[in-house]
This record gives sequence, C-alpha cells and structure tokens, in this order.
Amino acid sequence: MSSPDKSNILRKYKIVFLGDQSVGKTSLITRFMYDTFDETYAATIGIDFLSKTMYLEEGKTIRLQLWDTAGQERFRSLIPSYIRDSHVAVICYDITNKKSFLNLDKWIKDVKLERGDDVIIVLVGNKSDLANDKRQVSVEDVEQLHNKIGSKFFIETSTKANHNIVMMPMIMLMQSQKLLILVLKIKLHNQQVHAVKYCLYEHIAIVII
Amino acid sequence: MATTQSTNSEEAPITPKKSSMLLDPNEYNKSDNAANSHQRNDSSYSRNFSLIDMYGEEAASSPTGPDSNDHGSTSDEQLDYQMLQSLDEFSFGEISTDHNVSQQTITQIRDTPTPQPPQHDEDDDDEDRLEIRQQYVIPTSMGNETKILNSPFDRYGFRKSSTHHGFTLEEYNDWFKEYSEYSYRRKKKWELLMKSHGLPIQEDDPVPTRFPPKSDKVKKMIRKGIPPEWRGNAWFFYAGGYDKLNRNAGVYHQIVENTKNIHNKDTEVIERDLHRTFPDNIYFNESIDANGNTLTVPLHSKETPLIKSLRRVLIAFAHYQPQIGYCQSLNFLAGLLLLFMEEERAFWMLVILTERIIPKVHSADLEGVHTDQGVLMLCVKEYIPQLWSILGTTFEGERLSDDQILSKLPPVTLVTSSWFMSLFVGIMPTETTLRIWDILWCEGSKTVFRFSLTILKLCLDNPEFDGAKHSPGGEADQIELFQFVQNFPKKILDCSNLVDLCFKKIGGYGFGSLSQDEINKCREFVSKQREMMNYKRRLSTKMTSEERYTLMNSSDGQLDGNNDIHDVYGFHRPIMGGVVWNRSISNKMKKTFAKRNSSRSST
Repeated sequence: MSSPDKSNILRKYKIVFLGDQSVGKTSLITRFMYDTFDETYAATIGIDFLSKTMYLEEGKTIRLQLWDTAGQERFRSLIPSYIRDSHVAVICYDITNKKSFLNLDKWIKDVKLERGDDVIIVLVGNKSDLANDKRQVSVEDVEQLHNKIGSKFFIETSTKANHNIVMMPMIMLMQSQKLLILVLKIKLHNQQVHAVKYCLYEHIAIVII
Repeated sequence: MATTQSTNSEEAPITPKKSSMLLDPNEYNKSDNAANSHQRNDSSYSRNFSLIDMYGEEAASSPTGPDSNDHGSTSDEQLDYQMLQSLDEFSFGEISTDHNVSQQTITQIRDTPTPQPPQHDEDDDDEDRLEIRQQYVIPTSMGNETKILNSPFDRYGFRKSSTHHGFTLEEYNDWFKEYSEYSYRRKKKWELLMKSHGLPIQEDDPVPTRFPPKSDKVKKMIRKGIPPEWRGNAWFFYAGGYDKLNRNAGVYHQIVENTKNIHNKDTEVIERDLHRTFPDNIYFNESIDANGNTLTVPLHSKETPLIKSLRRVLIAFAHYQPQIGYCQSLNFLAGLLLLFMEEERAFWMLVILTERIIPKVHSADLEGVHTDQGVLMLCVKEYIPQLWSILGTTFEGERLSDDQILSKLPPVTLVTSSWFMSLFVGIMPTETTLRIWDILWCEGSKTVFRFSLTILKLCLDNPEFDGAKHSPGGEADQIELFQFVQNFPKKILDCSNLVDLCFKKIGGYGFGSLSQDEINKCREFVSKQREMMNYKRRLSTKMTSEERYTLMNSSDGQLDGNNDIHDVYGFHRPIMGGVVWNRSISNKMKKTFAKRNSSRSST
C-alpha cells in the first residue's frame, strides 16, 4: 500500500467465500470466473483456490485471488489462516434455507475475530431463481441483519439464471480513506448497470456506501 | 451404443451374488455385542494419543490381523518394535488363516438363500436394497474397450472430460487407447497368477471372490493395477473386509433398519451432499443421458439406486461411528466404493478406513488431518529438501524455522489436506485414483504419504513450477505455488508412470523406501507435539489477543515451565525416549550384563 503509483506492480486482492454447506459458493465463483453454470457441483473439500487477472479502466490490472471453502462446520478449523489477510469476505447463504441464513452470525463472528473491522463483508443470498416457491429468507430479514452488523454490501443472486446480477466485482483502492470499495457491475436484462447507491428489489440488491 | 449401463448388463454375464443375509435375531444379538464392545474401544481409543492406540490397528490391518475388539486391552508391551517393523513386510503365517476366513465367507455367501423381500415391502427403499446389485464397472474385454473409447463416459460411468478436468476428451482417448491394451494384458497376467494359486477363473463366475495371499509377487501385481471389474472384491479381500464382515454379520442391515427414519444434524448434512457426490457420473446423476447431455428434468426428481445406497451407507456410518458422524469427503469415499461393491461391504470398508488406515482424519476436530499434514511436511523436508526450501514459508513468505513447522503449517498443507480426506478422489483422474486405491487397501496408509510425496516431487520437477515460483508481480508468491500444486494432480492421466515414479529406485523417486514404521513414529511425534500446542492454545483463549499473540509466537513454551514443545523430528532415529521396546531392550541388556558380571565374579 505504500507505493500506489507504481503501476507495474500487480495489486492482489484476496477474497474469501464463506457460508454453510451447499449454499452455492462454488457455483458463484464459477459463474464469476467462467460465466458458466452447472446444475450440480461436487462438494468442495477443504479449500479451493482460483485466481484471475483483471484489467480495469486506465490500463490498470489487478489480480483477484478467490478462496472457495468447504461449508461443513468442522472445516472451520482449517479456515482462519486464509481469512487472516483477506480484503473481502463474501458470506453466502441460500434464500431457500433459513438455517444457512441464521448461521450468518457465526460466519461474521469468525471473520471479525480474525480481521476485526478491517475487512469488507459482502452478504450474498443465492438461489433467487427459486424465490417464488421456496423462499425462506425474506428481504426484511436480511435488512435487519444488515443493519445490525453493518455489512457493507448485500446482494441476492441466482447463479443459475444469471438474470439478475453479479459478475464482475471490481475492486478499487481509495487510497485516501484506506478503504476498499467493491463495485458490482450488474447485468440486468443485458443492460450493464453500475450500482452506485443503495438499491433493493426483490431480486436485486446492491449496496455501496 | 445405447448406454453404458445397458451395454453392461447385456455383456456382464453374471452379477455378483449378494452377501447380505436375512437377519436371524440371535445372530444379531451376538453381533450387537461385538458392535458395542467395538464402540467401547473407540472411546478408549479417542482418549489416548499414543501411536500404539492411534495407529496400532494398522498393524492388525492384514486380513486376519488380531481381532480389533481385543485392541482396547492390548498392553503396550504387546505392540513391540518388531511388530511395528513387520508392518511393511508380508508374512506367510497370517495368510494361511486368511484363506480359511475367506473360504468360510464364500461358503456362507453361496449358501445364503436368495434374499426375500421383507414383510413391509411397501417401502421403496427396501425394494432397492434387495434388488440384485448391478455391475457398474464395464469389464475389461476387447469389445468393451472400443465401446468405451466411443462413449462420453469412462469405464466407471464418469464423464471422461469436462471443464473441471485437467485434460481434453482427445487427450483422454489418446491415453485410453494405450491404457486399455495395458489393462487387457494385465488382466491376462492376473488370470495366470490366479491359476497358479489354484484359483482359476470360472466361465460362469468371472469375478473372483478369493485372491492369492499377499506376497512380494502379489504386491508387484497389485502395484501394476488390479483388473477394474475385480477391484471391489480384491480391495475387500486385501483390506480384511471378510474378517470384519464375519465378526459383524447382520450389523449393517440392523443399523440401516434402526436409522431408517431418523433425522438429525448428520442426516441433514448428508442429504445436502448426496446429489453433490459425483454429479459427473451417470450412476449418481439421474439427469445425465447416455450421450452425455444433461437433461432438464426437475432437479433430483428421481434418485438413482446408488444415491439411495449412498444415503443408507452414510447415515449408518454416522450412527456407527458417532465420534466421526458425517464429514464431507466421506461421501466421495463411500460413493467410489459403491461403484465397486454392494453397500454392506462399502460400509465396512469405510469403517476399516477410518479405524485403521487414516484414523481421526474425519473426526469432528479433523485432528488427524493436521497430524498427517505435519508428518507430510516433515517428510518433504527430509526427502525433498529442495522443495521444502520453496514451500517451507508462511503465506507472507516468511521462512519457517524448524521449530515452527508444526505450529504454522505451510500454506501448501491446505491443498494436501484434501488429498488425505478424500484419498485423491476428485483430485486426480479416476483411473489414477483407483490405481492408488489398489495399493492403499493392500499396503496401508504409507501409500497416501508415498504418493503425496511423488506428486509434490513431480510438481517441483515441472518446468512450469519454476515459473509459478515468481508471480507476475515479480516476487516469489506462495499463492501462485499453491494454485500450481492444487491443479497439477488433475492432469496426471498416466497412472502407470506415476506408480513407477513413486516406487522405482532407478528412474523414479524411490519413495517405496518410506516405511510404515517411519510414518507411525512420525505420526506419534507430531500428535504429541500438537497435543502440547493445543494445550497451550486452550490456556491462551482467556487472554487478550495481544497476550495470545505474544504467547503463540514465543518459541519456548514458558507456560508450563519446562516444555519445549518443538523438538525437531529426526528420521531414522529413535525419538521416543520412554517407549516400550527401548525399555525391553534395556532390560535385556541389563540381564545380559548381570549374567556376565555374575559369571565373572564366580570365576
């Protein structure tokens, strides 16, 4: 962070994906990395790592390092060491599984224990394509939690339908404030929208401070 | 061809006979006691951390090793140095009994009446269970090899290639063309071997249930690969499955019966993993059609018989081994076993694996994973020092000093942990995993270490590894190396070459010389160190984070006075001062001296 002007140094950003078993972490990452979706992914054992170099405007490049994790509780003993210097923790839940939402608390605690407030927490409610008949977590539920923990971002996605959201978290460093801001470039009916302010709909919710 | 499945049922002349027996209540009571005493042992087992308790059973892992139920009462003295040493040897003594056991089992299987549907056969699950088991593996024969070559699926029903694989379909087929000829030749050699041991292959029963006793010759044959369609029976035979099954006749089916309608934390987690077990396999994923297309049927609307078996095995296992319960990765182990053997046997193989071969690796605290990673890192340091000089750092690139290895395992252990948990399933191409499993069931846990070292050494020798050492940004980057080691095994299609590299002393890495004895000693060392470390950690939980930080970074464990918790492990050196064999040796020495002295004084 000391020499932000040296553009030849590739900045690396570490993003860790956490959350209960089978909420769709791997699916989210695969969508992000390759823009593909499989109906079912094999369960992740331990930790999977993927990295991707991204080209931003103004000729800058960054390297994103994504850590995919196993959701089962006992695997948490493996996790701390790679949460330790993450810039962003994406904590996922499944909107059709209330329990995965209730467990967010535990995951958030884990992250804060390792990183204090020096981390950006993004909450992702996955499987919004099943929202109509199977939804167990309401948008209000999430807003409440969001206010309580002061999470910086909250989105609901469907990695399956790819109709709403996600794709390219771009990370820019606001050097003056020592703050990472995650700009989520969202895709809505093929229109690219930069979410720059808090907006919340049934299927889409993007928050930027 | 229509589907691999139907081809298979046309050509496979016979399905293996079911060994499941209808339950005789008396029989169950007997075995129930066995199960109970077994569980008692488990609890005593989990209290102790010594090598003898943790890994002693592996000494008994030969098909007719001492009854594991006696294990709890095994005094330390019984497990002496010689026994540890003999772990790596095959002895003919145990083999003769071996024969008896298997023979008995076979008779039992043959005499068993065809299973009748139970009284309450409205239940779908029961019907499935009693269905004659389908042979899932396409047998090695010239005709079949061509069919496999033209199919999108391999011999075991896995999609040959996809985005998750480290190779293309063309690369797979190129490899398979050659390898199928190799498999065919190996099968002929196995048939000769069987014949020479008086176990000729019958026309009407082409899948043998008995195998030649372990010997150097057999070990060599196994290392070159067991015929795919014989694997289930051979693994079961060499791992001591018959022994386990005989001592627990009926137990599995009783557990299944008892756990039929239970709902708890484990069953919930299992349910979520069932359809995430081999979604690339036609026998597990009902929505793949014979051409390899994924059908758009409602998700999980119909379960394949193997998914149902998998559910029963995992739930029964969680019930039988409550100290493990269900752990992700067991689904892959059970799933792979189920492709090769019926569910009762798969269940007992899972038990053998978690009791004897990789104990505690799946336990709630994953202690065995941490222990084994410590052992593996010590092995890397000893046997591949050049690689250790690259990997032996923290994430931040700080070098790990000798006394830090176990408290701050290097980042690469996050990759290798999953090698141990899933025993390479999903880590390597299917046939490569299976070749390692052939050896693992016969030779035990050292196999996992030997192959882990082989893969790591292969990484080091790969020219691209050198490139990965330096990140695009310029500085050495642990994370790029991490990624390399993670992705590299997916490309190892040439399984025969991998096995050769592992064992060959000339032209290979010669890791066959890493003995079970050394692994056991090292495991004990690491687990003792970790025990002390965890003790320190527990004490520190009440401290502030700064206090804790200071404590954890002090390399001299001041906390409990004189414990230097980081002894340095030395290979090939006796490291455990108070161990029994040393005491018995010193007693012998004392006696010898006493004799000499007395004889001297008398003259």
